[in-house]
Amino acid sequence: MAQQHGIIVLFDVENALRTRSLDGNTYWFDNMKLFGSTGVGSEQLVTIVPGTHYLDGSQATEQVLNWLPAALGSIPPTVPRNYLAEQGRADDRRTLDELAGLDAAGGVEEDDVKRLQRRVGKRARKPASGRGLTEAKLLDVTGRTTTSSDAYNYPAPVITDITGPAVTEKIMYPAQYGSPDMIYDGWYWAATVDTSRPGVYRYTMHIQLHELVERNDELVWESVDLTCESNLKIINDPKRNGFTGAGVGVLPLPPVPVTG
Amino acid sequence: MKQRISIVVMVDAVGALSDRTLHNGNISLVDDSSAGSKHQGTPDLVTAVSPGQVVQWTPIHIDVQTPVEIQSIEFLSGGAAPAPAGAAAMPRPAGHSAAASHPAPAAASGTGVDAVGSNGRENYDLLVWEGIVPHGMTPGVPYRYRLALRLHEGPNSVLHIDSPALMCV
Repeated sequence: MAQQHGIIVLFDVENALRTRSLDGNTYWFDNMKLFGSTGVGSEQLVTIVPGTHYLDGSQATEQVLNWLPAALGSIPPTVPRNYLAEQGRADDRRTLDELAGLDAAGGVEEDDVKRLQRRVGKRARKPASGRGLTEAKLLDVTGRTTTSSDAYNYPAPVITDITGPAVTEKIMYPAQYGSPDMIYDGWYWAATVDTSRPGVYRYTMHIQLHELVERNDELVWESVDLTCESNLKIINDPKRNGFTGAGVGVLPLPPVPVTG
Repeated sequence: MKQRISIVVMVDAVGALSDRTLHNGNISLVDDSSAGSKHQGTPDLVTAVSPGQVVQWTPIHIDVQTPVEIQSIEFLSGGAAPAPAGAAAMPRPAGHSAAASHPAPAAASGTGVDAVGSNGRENYDLLVWEGIVPHGMTPGVPYRYRLALRLHEGPNSVLHIDSPALMCV
């Protein structure tokens, strides 16, 4: 049975936000190199889709694509979904313990208070119109709270749509699906492919990144929508019988079977 | 009598590759014969068949993004018949060396079919593994076959078992 395709799309979020473009800031990686994908790991990925058909012309194997977005220089997407909230809360608990400790020891040094203030960190709000981002403390890539405005962890890039010739020409049928896999926030994009029309087809991926901006003395995550492109290369070959190389025949049994 | 019998080969490709064997629970064979097959769910499946039935083998992988295909099915001969020329021309992947200590079974056939796609790459998904049960099988005697699976590509990608069989009832 044919394998499903996994396509990792890795984004250099910081650079993309600075240049306001995904050009030069995406890395595409699929698991179909053995069947002829080219440009694996680069921005010029051409994903092979090896279709098959029976002798009557009907499609034999369903090809399925799965896209897995990831961000460079972020806390890995494989940590549990509540990691950010847990880390923020753990830091709060430590700070409270230390505050209590200061009081018990008698005098309170100004330096100690300042240190603890830094530990409290900063909180970023989402704009009223935004969706999907939970209000949370800023964490750096090591998962500690931070007050620094340039050492923080970006929220994961979100695929918002897949369009382009491969979709309008009905080569693939992408959709977003719910998933018990929380690595991708419970949602993922997948598509089935019509392999009956060989050729190279482009598609456009619509990506939402999030940028931290200061507004009215408040830090806010604002969405930035960008696009990037990739390709599918559809080929198609007839199925053949594994024993005969052509149609079905009599099984090649020996006159005397092996014993033992 | 059923016209068709399906044999489904379930494979844990990651387990098999890291164990370098299809045993240790990395493969399970099940058929839908109603004539009294034995050892369902194991690598030792004996499928009960009758002459004229069509038998089809289908691999299913547990991890849907791992490539698992049947590379060959060879019925093992107990006679001194020489291996056909096609089998000798087959490169023997490293995975086969483990079987070298057993008496080399003369493969009846089922190898060497061209699995190259139009882009010049091997793609064993192109092969359909089915055939008609011939007349003349000795009833009650298992005809064992070597089932070779290809998991991705490379020198360690092909693994096989010699334990499953067809038996005429």
